[in-house]
Amino acid sequence: MNLLRETDTTLLGTAALTAILGITTIYSATFHTEAVSTPLYAKQLRFAIFAVIVALAVVYIPNKLLYGIAYPLYLSSFGMLLAVLMWGTGEDVKRWLTFGLVTVQPSELAKITTIIALARYLGDRSGDEINLARTVLGGTCLTLIPVALVARQPDLGTAVSLGAVLLPMLYWAGMRPLYIFCMVSPLLSVVFSFEEVWRVATPFVFGAFIILSTAAIHFLLSRLWFTVSMATANLSAGLITVYLWDQMRAYQKARILTFLNPESDPQNTGWTIIQSKIAIGSGGLSGKGFLEGTQTRFEFLPEAHTDLIFSVIGEELGFIGALVALSLFLFLICRALYIGYVAKNRFFSLLAIGLASMLTFHVFVNVGMTIGVMPVTGLPLPFLSYGGSSLLANFTAIGLLLHVYSNRHEY
Amino acid sequence: MSETDQEPRIRGLVAVVGLLFTILVLRLFYLQIATSEDYLRESDDNRIDKMRIKAPRGLIMARDGEILAQNGAFYTISLIRSTKGNFEAAVNALHEAIGGPPIAGRYTKKSSSIRLKRDVDFRTVAIVEEVLKDEWPMAIEIEAKRNYPADRLAAHLIGYMGLPQEQEQAADFLGITGVEKLYEHTLRGIDGVRFVEVDARNRIRRDFPDEEKPSVSGQNLVLTIDYDIQRAAEHALPDSVPGSVVALDARTGAVLAMVSKPAFDPNIFISFQDQEQRLQVINSPTEPLLNRATKGTYPPGSTLKLIGAVAALETGITDTLSTFEACAGSLQVGDTTFRCFKRDGHGELNLLEAVETSCNIYFLHLAQLLGMETWRDYAQRFGFGESTGINLYPEDEAGLLPDRQYYVETEGWTQGHLMNLVIGQGSILTTPLQVARYTAALGNGGHLVSPHIAGPAPATTAIQDVSDATLDVIRRCMRRVVYGKRGTGRRAWVADVEVAGKSGTAQVPNRNDDAWFVSFAPYDDPTIAVAVVVEGGGSGGLVAAPIASKVMDAHFAQQRSALLREDDRPLSLAVADTGNGP
Repeated sequence: MNLLRETDTTLLGTAALTAILGITTIYSATFHTEAVSTPLYAKQLRFAIFAVIVALAVVYIPNKLLYGIAYPLYLSSFGMLLAVLMWGTGEDVKRWLTFGLVTVQPSELAKITTIIALARYLGDRSGDEINLARTVLGGTCLTLIPVALVARQPDLGTAVSLGAVLLPMLYWAGMRPLYIFCMVSPLLSVVFSFEEVWRVATPFVFGAFIILSTAAIHFLLSRLWFTVSMATANLSAGLITVYLWDQMRAYQKARILTFLNPESDPQNTGWTIIQSKIAIGSGGLSGKGFLEGTQTRFEFLPEAHTDLIFSVIGEELGFIGALVALSLFLFLICRALYIGYVAKNRFFSLLAIGLASMLTFHVFVNVGMTIGVMPVTGLPLPFLSYGGSSLLANFTAIGLLLHVYSNRHEY
Repeated sequence: MSETDQEPRIRGLVAVVGLLFTILVLRLFYLQIATSEDYLRESDDNRIDKMRIKAPRGLIMARDGEILAQNGAFYTISLIRSTKGNFEAAVNALHEAIGGPPIAGRYTKKSSSIRLKRDVDFRTVAIVEEVLKDEWPMAIEIEAKRNYPADRLAAHLIGYMGLPQEQEQAADFLGITGVEKLYEHTLRGIDGVRFVEVDARNRIRRDFPDEEKPSVSGQNLVLTIDYDIQRAAEHALPDSVPGSVVALDARTGAVLAMVSKPAFDPNIFISFQDQEQRLQVINSPTEPLLNRATKGTYPPGSTLKLIGAVAALETGITDTLSTFEACAGSLQVGDTTFRCFKRDGHGELNLLEAVETSCNIYFLHLAQLLGMETWRDYAQRFGFGESTGINLYPEDEAGLLPDRQYYVETEGWTQGHLMNLVIGQGSILTTPLQVARYTAALGNGGHLVSPHIAGPAPATTAIQDVSDATLDVIRRCMRRVVYGKRGTGRRAWVADVEVAGKSGTAQVPNRNDDAWFVSFAPYDDPTIAVAVVVEGGGSGGLVAAPIASKVMDAHFAQQRSALLREDDRPLSLAVADTGNGP
């Protein structure tokens, strides 16, 4: 088998193209600042070259090896996350581990290893077994352990992004959509009982949700004990939300509200989002031109080369540029889904779907943040945001997808 | 995994991805296409800063063009677009670098630039420019500083400028008193706007000269003050002696000179350094800030006797030949004995002699015949007891012209009060400006002028029922004060011009007598009317008359030299022509 011929070059090419767009944008976002010995865009270029090599290396790992080392990899990243909590570096939050000259961010690697481990765990179980409570519980634990460790750093955004792959993978592994709904419904209860969103309509909205969800579960499943326990769980989730919100102090409430609606605090968190929206909105159809973004150039946009890199694209390249960037991501995601779809091996297939989910989650949360539809979480935009660990993790993901693609016919 | 089994599920996943991307694209469409213009405007607001161009304040000049108030510059250190924490750190850094007293600037969110220290020296400017500017967003602003080149000259008229209270560090200087206050609007001008492109740290990146809206300079203000006359008046009244001089154009009411002593230097009010001098002036017991010409109220003494004389002539109580009982040095009216300043008496006098010698007894007789109401009516016609309406800030005092009711309500009415009033004593209070206007009216044929310091002359009002014949007698009386053998105002004499005047020596509680002198000249058609008061000066004829003389001399010296300049004739001829001899 000629592995090179079997490599999905369009996937790798699109990822590389996206990274080049990122490097170009980083140049634009930082060229006005004072000269440093190595400009950031040059550093990112080096990272990218290294990351592409890693991606290609991943393609060539032996077919069964990945499956074999799935749990050891998971355990080693678990160890690294523990090490971060104990010896990590960073200003306010401990995110990095330093080995001599190299600084790594274990949470970025944990994203990949968790997906690999989860793919193996779910892959080892048949579609029927997936719907057993203990399987779901096992998969959930497998996911929540790294989530909890990352959340302790604290890095809530990354923690949530780690957990975000669980549901799509369960779904892909064969879980009934109704059960997925049941897993999500307590969270929905929280949302529907949150009076800051629904105001005076809260009791009606929450009541309607409980009635409809209970009716749906009962109608589709016809098991009374299950319906009753779900209804109880949903009701309690909602009531606890109301109670907790009532008990919270004003500053705690303010912190949560600011998280949900950053623009309510224009001096601090809101500043970022307001400036980002101004940058993107003022870009118009075709943008202000490369290097011409005034929000970027005059430093109104904080973190322009990292979290808000999409805002720079939106400002300088406009709606067209933003659509091009989103199209690149959409292509990568669809290609990943396709690879998952065509892979014969259950482990490989789940792996591809997990990686596609991770990519989707990052793109939606980051871009959503820059245009004010998602809260500020500090998640980087894959391939575009400046940062070596993120780039390495994302190209490793591409490498894994290429690996799966190359071995798609294997059972 | 089997593709056919998974087909519904891959559709589900693609649908979710499609939904999420649709949300993003719709939102992007909303921001970048539908409402893009709003955001473009906001991004312009971010980067384009409006900077104020301060309009230069109008100059204040004397009528002959001498500059009384002009504009200089001083340097101010400002901090731009800072947070509160940043602000305090910057203030500490500045204080550490330049030393001296604590930095007075206070943090505010209202404006993008906060003035830290105003009116700093070159050393501070250099330190900020060379050291601090790299680290802190500091700017050096050049601010206009009012400057009064003539120092104390006409200080009360010009007034001074200061900062509105509570925001001393941030605000512009405003006129606080005098014409600086009254003409604030026209002097100030209209500030312009300059547009610049700035970054988030407010550093200027680009200028837009085409968009600039230039400032409109404030209008210059030309006062009616004559620099030479004002200076002569200032010199004639030493700063150590409290008092006032007012010189009016007798025909129009234009203020030719107005002096109040002690004076102050208005420059100290616009300096950030002269705090001590400022407090000294403000707290001084001699009240240098008080404009005695308009705010000082005094009994005018014998200068007021001419009211009685006019009233008596108009009502036919006396004429130029009639006499009363001879002055024996004192007169008993009711329970009170009134004395003439001449202890052994003036003997028998007619009106002209009575004015010339300033005999009190003559006027007491006259007052007894006049009665309170008639006398007060004439005093009122000559503008006593009411503000002159001069365009100055603060407004002038009305003084006090008591009527019978006033006494009934206070000490109880007796004829003795009128005896006092007619010789300018007792409860009556007048400002030097009122007295100057009254003097002008006596000289100019009975027209009550409106004193003014700038602008066109307001209308004058003819005083009702005062005949030319009466005023002719009054002028003759007043001429005898200066030229008569027994005249009390002989020291008011001026070369080449005939002067008419009246002295006054007013008794005031708690100090020596105030010396008064009023005069106008030329006698037959006056162009200048002068009122002089020297607090505690003693005899008006001895102390105040020479001051009036110097003021009038300055006026006529100017006319003489003007004639010289205008004439093409040889100098020797011109000199020969102008002099009529003393």
